[in-house]
Amino acid sequence: MVVEAPSEFETQDLLINVGPQHPSTHGVFRMVLEIDGEVVKDLVPYIGYLHRGAEKLCENNDFRQGIGYMDRTEYLAAHNAELSYVMAVEALGEIEVPERAQWIRMILCELNRISSHFMFLGAFGIDVGVFGTPFIYAWRERETIIDLFEEISGDRMMYAYFRAGGLAWEVPANFENRVREVLASAQQGVKDFDGLLTENEIFIARTKGVGFISAEDAIEMGMSGPTIRASGVPLDIRKTEPYLFYDQLDFEPITANGGDVFDRYIVRLQEISQSIDLIGQCLERLQPGPITPERMPRMLRLPEGEAYIRTEAPRGEYGVYMVSKGGNKPHRLKVRSACLSNLQVLKQMSVGQYVADAIIILGSIDIVLSEVDR
Amino acid sequence: MKGILKSMMVTASTFARKPVTREYPESHRELPERDRAFPLLLWDEDINEPFCTGCHACERACPVECMTVIMKDNPNHTAHDGPSKRRKIIDSFYIDYGRCMRCNICVEVCNFEAIAMNNTWQGHETSVYDRSDLVMDLPQLLAESKAGEIQEWVAE
Amino acid sequence: MSTEIFGIENVNVWVDGLIRVLLIVGFMTVVVMGLIYGERKILARFQQRLGPTRTGPMGLLQSVADALKLVGKEDLRPRNADPWTFELAPYLVFVPVFLGFVIVPFVLDWQIRILELGLLYFVAITGVNIVGWIMAGWGSDNRYAMIGGMRAAAQGISYELPLVLALVSVAMVVEVPLADGEVARGSLNLNEIVASQHEVPNIVWQPLVVVVFFIAGLAELNRTPFDIPVGESEVVGGPFVEYSGIRWSMFFLAEYAALLIMSLLFAAVFLGGWAWPAGIFTDEDWPRWAQALLVAGKASIFVFMVFWVRASVPRLRIDQLMGFSWKILLPLMLAQVMVNGLVLVYDWPEIILTVVGLIGIVALFAMVDRAVRQPRQRPASAAQLQSEAV
Repeated sequence: MVVEAPSEFETQDLLINVGPQHPSTHGVFRMVLEIDGEVVKDLVPYIGYLHRGAEKLCENNDFRQGIGYMDRTEYLAAHNAELSYVMAVEALGEIEVPERAQWIRMILCELNRISSHFMFLGAFGIDVGVFGTPFIYAWRERETIIDLFEEISGDRMMYAYFRAGGLAWEVPANFENRVREVLASAQQGVKDFDGLLTENEIFIARTKGVGFISAEDAIEMGMSGPTIRASGVPLDIRKTEPYLFYDQLDFEPITANGGDVFDRYIVRLQEISQSIDLIGQCLERLQPGPITPERMPRMLRLPEGEAYIRTEAPRGEYGVYMVSKGGNKPHRLKVRSACLSNLQVLKQMSVGQYVADAIIILGSIDIVLSEVDR
Repeated sequence: MKGILKSMMVTASTFARKPVTREYPESHRELPERDRAFPLLLWDEDINEPFCTGCHACERACPVECMTVIMKDNPNHTAHDGPSKRRKIIDSFYIDYGRCMRCNICVEVCNFEAIAMNNTWQGHETSVYDRSDLVMDLPQLLAESKAGEIQEWVAE
Repeated sequence: MSTEIFGIENVNVWVDGLIRVLLIVGFMTVVVMGLIYGERKILARFQQRLGPTRTGPMGLLQSVADALKLVGKEDLRPRNADPWTFELAPYLVFVPVFLGFVIVPFVLDWQIRILELGLLYFVAITGVNIVGWIMAGWGSDNRYAMIGGMRAAAQGISYELPLVLALVSVAMVVEVPLADGEVARGSLNLNEIVASQHEVPNIVWQPLVVVVFFIAGLAELNRTPFDIPVGESEVVGGPFVEYSGIRWSMFFLAEYAALLIMSLLFAAVFLGGWAWPAGIFTDEDWPRWAQALLVAGKASIFVFMVFWVRASVPRLRIDQLMGFSWKILLPLMLAQVMVNGLVLVYDWPEIILTVVGLIGIVALFAMVDRAVRQPRQRPASAAQLQSEAV
C-alpha cells in the first residue's frame, strides 16, 4: 500500500510591524509587512506621524514670516526648500533679484545638496549593516559644511537666510576661502566612502538587483530626483527648466542603467562630486555687487495670482504652489513634496524581495519624514 | 574579496587619523560672531536704561507670537529733567524661549536696535527643569547686556 | 585520589578541579569586561572618535557602570512567554561557553583538565549554544525574536561544518612524539597540538584553513558580517529583544566569553600558543608570566581582526550567508582535508601543504567574486508576486 506524503505544509503568513519607533525608518514612519518565510508579500505604509500643519500655518503668516516654516519642511536641505518659496514670491511680485544674490544662492543650494547626500550615505551605511563607520564619516563631513553655514547665516540647520529679492545680509569676507576649504574636505569624504563601500563585495551582493524599478514605471508614478535618474531617465530640473543661472554652468545629469539600490547609491555619490565641481564654477563667476534690490518695501503686498515654482532639491522635485489674493499673506501655499511621490513606489519595489531588503530599499529612496508629512 | 580588504584599508587609515571628538562641556567650540541663539535686549550704558521703547514692532512681526510687550511713560525723559530722549520705555517684556524659532525677524524690524540675538554660549545653554522657567522676563533679558558680556552682531 | 597544584602536594582531585574552575571564572569575568571596553575604544578609533572617556580614568570603569546598570533594571517577563523555555534559555547559552574553557591551554601544562579529546569536546559543547538561541527566540512570544532565533539556528548549524573541518584538518597533521622515538600523526589533545608547533606554527602549513577558521568563527560568534540574528537595524536585538537586565547581560557576556575562547583557541591551534617561538622548554627557561603574555598577544591579534572587520564590512543576508557556507567554504574544506590526507599517506614534503593552501585562498577569492557578480536568483514565487503587485 502506498501512502502519499502531504505535498505542502500548511503555513501562515506573518504580519510584521516595522513601527514608528525603529532605528532604521529615518524618522517616524510605519510600514506593515506581510511575509511568508523571508519573502515580502505585501507592504502597507502609514505616514502622518510628523504632520505639523506647515502649509496652514503659512496662511496666517506673511511672506517674510513664512520662511521659518519652509526650513522645517525639509530640514536636511533647508536652503533648497527656502529657494522654492522665495522664487514663488518673486514670481508673483515680479521682483528682480541681483546677480550676486543668485550666484550665492546657487552655491549655498549646492553645498546643501552635498551635505544632504552625505547624510544619505551615512544612514544607508547603517541600514546595510556596517556598524557606525559610514555614519561617522558622513557627520564628519557635514560638520564642516554646517560650520560654514553657521558663519554665514547664524544657524546650523534652520537658516532663514533667503529673502524675497535676494539674501538677508551679505556673506562674510572670507567666504570664498572657506568654501574652498569645505570643498577640499568633502572631496576627501567622497574618497573615503568610495573606498569603504563601492567595491565591497558584501555591499555589492546586498544591493545589486534589489529594489528594481524600470524607467517607464518610474515616470508613470511621478518619481523625480536621483531615484529616477538611477533608472536611466535623465530628468534633472536644473537642465530641463533651468532656474537661477544653471543654464550658464557646464554639467550633465548623472544617470545609471540598473534602477536598483546600488545605482541609487552610485548616482548620489557621483552627484556629490558633480556639486563640488559646480560650486567651483560658481565661485569663478561670483562678482561683488548688491544682494537685494534697491527699493524693497517693508511689508510685501503681492498682486492677485498664482505661481508654481519647482526646483531640484536633493531628493527630487520640490515645488511650491502659491495663490495670492492681494494682501500680505498667501491665500494658499501648497508644497509638492518629492519624498511623498517617491515613497509611492515602495510597495512595487519591495514585494517579492526579502525582509532585510525591504529595509534597504526604504533607505535607498532617501526620504525625510518632515517633507512627506509637512 | 579584494573589495573587503580595500574597505578594511580605508578603516585602517581612519584609525591613524586624529579623533575629531570635542570633549564638551570641558571644551567649548568658538562660536562665529553671527551665531543665532535666543533673543535678548540691549542696555544703553550711557544713560543707564534699555534701548527698548516698547513699540510692539517685534511683537507683531514674530511668526510664533512668543513675545508680550508693555510700555510705560519714561520717568527719565528730558521733560522730567532726565538725560533720555525716549518718551516711552519698556515696562515689561516676556519672551517664551520655548516658542521662539530664532528666525531673526524681530531683530530686523526693530527701529531702535534694541533687540539682538545672543551669540554666546549662554544663549545656547538654557536648559531648565520646568518648562515655565523658559519664559524670560525683562531683568533676565537685560542681564547679559548690563554685565557687558554681549558683543552683538548687527547686519548692515 | 590526590594530585598537586601550584606545588602543594596531595590535594584532593575534586578540590583541585574546583580551585582551577574558580580561578578561570574570575579571570574570565575580568577579561570579558576588558574586552567589552576594548571593543568600544577600538571601534571608536576606527571611526575617528574617542570611545568611553567619562567613567573612571580614560573610561576604564565603563563596563562596571554597564554591569551596575543592568543589575538595577526591572526584570520584565512577557505575559505569554513560555515559562520554562524563557527562563532556561540564558543558561543554555551561557553555561556551554563556560564549559568550553575547560580545555583551553593557557600556559605550559596548565589547563583545567587536559583532555585527550579536547577539540572534539570543544566542538560538541559549542553546539549546545544553538539550542539556547532557539529557546530564547521561541519562548519570548515575539515575532521579531522568533525570526531572529530561527536565523541564528540556521546560521549556527551551517557554519559548524567548515569550523569543524578546519579543526580536523589541523588535527590530522599534528606530530606527536611517542616514547620510542617514533612520530605519530594526528591528535585532538590541545596540549600536544601546541607542543608540536615548537618550530613552525601551523599557520605556515595551513593558510587556507586559517582564513576559513576566521570566517567560520565570526559566524559562530554571530559577529559582523554574520550578525543578522542580532541585526540592530532590522530586528532590533533578535532573539534577545524581550530580555532585560541581568538575563540580557548573560547573553552579552556569553558572546564575549565565546570570543575569548575562540581567540585563545586560535592562538593555540594556529599561532603556536606558548610553544612558538620559545621551543621546548621548562618553566625555568621561560617563566609562566612570559608564556601568558605570549599567548595573550597572539589572542589579541584575533580579537583585533574581529573588531576591524566589524567596523568595515556590511551585513550579509541570511540566504547569502548560507550559500557562502554550503557552496564555497564546505567544498574548499573538504578539498583541504583530502590534500592533508594524501600528504600524510604518501609522505610528501610538507611544503605542498603551504602551496595548496595559498592556491586555495586564491580560489576562495575567485569563487566569492564570481558569486557576487552573478545576477541574483530569485525564487519563482517572488517574481510572480512582483508582477502581480504592479
